[in-house]
Amino acid sequence: MVARTEIASVEGRKITSSIGMIFLLVSFSMLFATLLLGYAIYRVTADEWPPMGMQRVPLFLPTVSTFIIALSSLALWKFEEFFEQKKYENLLLPFIGTVVLGCAFMGVQFRLWSSMKDMGIFVEGGVFPSLMYSLTWIHAAHIVAGLISLLFLIPAMVSKNYDKYITTVSNVSKFWHFLGIVWLLMYVVMFVL
Amino acid sequence: MSFFMPLLSAAAVDTATKSMSLWERMTPPEDISVHGHLIDWLFAYTTYLNIFFFALVCAGLFGFSFFYSAKRHPKAHYTYGNKKIHVIVATIIGLSVFIGIDMNITRMSNNDYIGVFANWPKEDENPLKVEVLAQQWAWNFRYAGKDGVFNTEDDVVYLNDLRLPVGRKVLFQILSKDVIHSLYFPNARRKVDAIPGRLTRLWFQPTKAGDWDIACAEMCGTYHYRMKAHLTTYSEEDFKRWMDEAEEKALSVNDPENPELFWGWRWDW
Amino acid sequence: MAFFEQHIHEAPKTFLSKYIFSFDHKVIGKQFLWYGIFFLGVGGIMALMIRWTLAFPGVAFPLIGKLMFPETGGVVPPDTYAMLFTMHGTIMIFYAITPILIGAFGNFLIPLMIGARDMVFPLLNMLSFWIAFVSAILLLAGLFTPLGAAAGGWTSYPTLSTLIGSPGVGQTLWAMAIFVLGVSSTMGAINYITTIIVLRAPGMGYFDMPLSVWGLGLTAILNAIFLPVLGAGVLLLIFDRVFGTTFFLAGAAATSGTGDPILFQHVFWIFGHPEVYILILPAWGIVSDLLSFFARKPAFGAKATALSMTSITILSTIVYGHHMFTTQMSPLLTQSFMTLTMTISIPSAIFFANWLGTIWKGSIRFHSPMLFSLGVVFVFGLGGLTGLYLGTVTTDLYLHDTYFVVGHFHYTMAASVLLGGFAACYFWMPKMFGTMMNEFWAKVHFWITMLGLNGIFMGMMIVGYAGMHRRLYNPFVYDFMQKMIPINTFITWSAIVMGLSQIIFVINFVHAVFFKKEKASDNPWEVGTLEWTIPSPAPNYNFKEIPVVKCGPHEFGNPNLTGSRDFQYQTEELA
Repeated sequence: MVARTEIASVEGRKITSSIGMIFLLVSFSMLFATLLLGYAIYRVTADEWPPMGMQRVPLFLPTVSTFIIALSSLALWKFEEFFEQKKYENLLLPFIGTVVLGCAFMGVQFRLWSSMKDMGIFVEGGVFPSLMYSLTWIHAAHIVAGLISLLFLIPAMVSKNYDKYITTVSNVSKFWHFLGIVWLLMYVVMFVL
Repeated sequence: MSFFMPLLSAAAVDTATKSMSLWERMTPPEDISVHGHLIDWLFAYTTYLNIFFFALVCAGLFGFSFFYSAKRHPKAHYTYGNKKIHVIVATIIGLSVFIGIDMNITRMSNNDYIGVFANWPKEDENPLKVEVLAQQWAWNFRYAGKDGVFNTEDDVVYLNDLRLPVGRKVLFQILSKDVIHSLYFPNARRKVDAIPGRLTRLWFQPTKAGDWDIACAEMCGTYHYRMKAHLTTYSEEDFKRWMDEAEEKALSVNDPENPELFWGWRWDW
Repeated sequence: MAFFEQHIHEAPKTFLSKYIFSFDHKVIGKQFLWYGIFFLGVGGIMALMIRWTLAFPGVAFPLIGKLMFPETGGVVPPDTYAMLFTMHGTIMIFYAITPILIGAFGNFLIPLMIGARDMVFPLLNMLSFWIAFVSAILLLAGLFTPLGAAAGGWTSYPTLSTLIGSPGVGQTLWAMAIFVLGVSSTMGAINYITTIIVLRAPGMGYFDMPLSVWGLGLTAILNAIFLPVLGAGVLLLIFDRVFGTTFFLAGAAATSGTGDPILFQHVFWIFGHPEVYILILPAWGIVSDLLSFFARKPAFGAKATALSMTSITILSTIVYGHHMFTTQMSPLLTQSFMTLTMTISIPSAIFFANWLGTIWKGSIRFHSPMLFSLGVVFVFGLGGLTGLYLGTVTTDLYLHDTYFVVGHFHYTMAASVLLGGFAACYFWMPKMFGTMMNEFWAKVHFWITMLGLNGIFMGMMIVGYAGMHRRLYNPFVYDFMQKMIPINTFITWSAIVMGLSQIIFVINFVHAVFFKKEKASDNPWEVGTLEWTIPSPAPNYNFKEIPVVKCGPHEFGNPNLTGSRDFQYQTEELA
């Protein structure tokens, strides 16, 4: 007789939601892969980069936001670990850390956009600004979605119900780490290289 | 076809060509280029092979349907089709299609493409050079004029009117001003997209003097269907006569102050 | 791996939770079916208007023409014509075929055929339908904007689809609708994949799944991977239109910077070529099953068919360049795309051989689903073989953007998928709605449709070979096309006949769904797959007891079978 598990049980939900989440992240990564591929094509085919005498965006702000998002990922990772170990009393600090760092990331992004404007890089100013703004915008939109999804962790924290919320915790953190990795790639491709 | 005639006469279009056979109606326009027959032949060749394989499919489809209907063949033969013989037959069919048609026509097409259609005329072959600028919804054509240099004030510039000599290779460089168009010579079996910000090329060699159509084959807006130009092919002498006249005329008519005139570009090989 | 079992959900009580915001995959499937049939009607009427304009230029469209175009006395004006073919393409591909084959039958069949009580994420499933609904509203809203709907062709190549070529809001709405629909389809796809992986009944290996599930699953994988690519493309298009970026602007009309309009074509076709397989794979799967069911014989080489479909899925991702030969890629790219394209014919030929092998020495019952399935084999044979002309670069130089292309892709994407969809509709009708459709009228419907669509699409290929190119409001301004007027008239008459014959289907369908008293039996077609082990129509929990699968889906005519049955349920031990 084959072993049977109820799909609504913890193991069932863990497996199904992780499979679903992996395919969802594959979808998301295709979106970002297309955008970065587009960036690479524009960049490689251009005679000079950045074109039309524009300046490169200074590395300072993007580096700061990279550190911030890495730290927030770290904090969320801690959160997940505590949740796995059912140390519910330790959850608050990493949660607040993640949310604050996530908001700080958005703040730095806003600083980045205004500093780009100050440098004379406007959205309408050709392909280079188009790429810089659009790709960071799209990523920022996902960060906002990620911040909203972080709110789903609040009931998990309050209720201290492992069985009910373990999939929420692992899905939200997968998504958040994914956004961190995407930003790291964007940082390397768009700002460093 | 007579059944449809009453409705046809209601159509606002001239239907002077009433007495053609179906075959005449479905043949492509007359081939006026040296290499157009390559495309026609590849099409015909693919058609023969396709007819053969489609006849096989139909034989199976209709034959089996006929012989193995429940009435004639009440008891089905029990097989999964995974015996060695079945696998071999399926593989043979797959490979015979692949080698019989695909690699065959790929090879032919490849040879034609590399050897002819993408084998651009060299400078020493002295092709006639024409610059084409597509815009919504017209074709601009530009010959180098007396000095042989493009984008100067003696260029011969025509709108929707292209004239080419017979027996000389013609090389086009094509650009678009606004949206993507496609320069289509039905009579030469050739087309290439006109793209803003990117030059494309096309060449062919006319063989027959006469009047023909040039069309835009890529959707380019509401009046896409009106984006039609006229192609006239002359014999070598007639073309020279016309060209001399046009060059003289260009000298007197072209207004060097008019920036609109200089839509051309430097010709790079 | 352990097998997962689902609770029996309580049957929903209220109207809202039962028919509108239902979590039940069967109800969502039916919602998608109605949605798809509605759009099939809309797209079909648009097609008739296009055909009417081509055959009788300057003649008022009958019946509704005067109402819709009062300022021209009922004649379709050229700008409306452009909107018509744009919307026809978009609606038929994204809003008719996708919902019917993937939305309706994907939802309905996957859990039933693999022995599950529902999809694994019912909420996601419901959201997927309602997001598709929002997308449809966005698309149709475009028709009522001042400058009209999108008019750049369903491919919407920039720079025509940027503000340079189409200043209206309609094009922006189009792009947003496609993006939103992409979100919906991706959600559906993730659901399908996870369901197939997780919820297969105990004992059911991947090769014990019916081939329909294979087709739908592969489609879902392609959807999940490639819809985001299109999403990125239309997102950048929206940015170009709304925020003034210049990704796809180039040339004299671009005021600043040089983007690259060709990049959109690359992105579009990286998605677009898998998309044609997204549309056709479910139909292939369904046809492979139905041929075996009605030939009363195991599907010939079912494993090979499944693997061929898989290899086509993989190959489809690397051949997209053949849509862009005329943009003059480098000769090396051209050659490689041509050769790669040609390799698709190996798996195609193999499953064609398997289809014919399935009916070979069978005992064929010519019920309407079987007729439609055989029809698919016929039209897909034509459609597939005519693809060869377009895969070879030199003939493509002549045929690209002519009606030959239109004929070819209608054979593969419209004719085959439509016939496959009808086959599925007639076949699963008892399981969906508990009644059978009228067999006589189904056959009449089949023969008229078959005659009509071959008249249309064969005619299109003929005029295409004769040089008529696409998307022309009035082709007869060209001298060399004057001679094709009678053929165009013939195509239009075929289209009208085929369009009218769909009324038979609609009446038959509506009658069977709402008015027919006579209930269908649980297994009217005598087929052994899991959905036929439960009552018709399927109860809301599908399976009272989760079945244990003991044999493949196509067990017909096993010589060891005793009794009067010639088939075996999948829950029965193979003798």
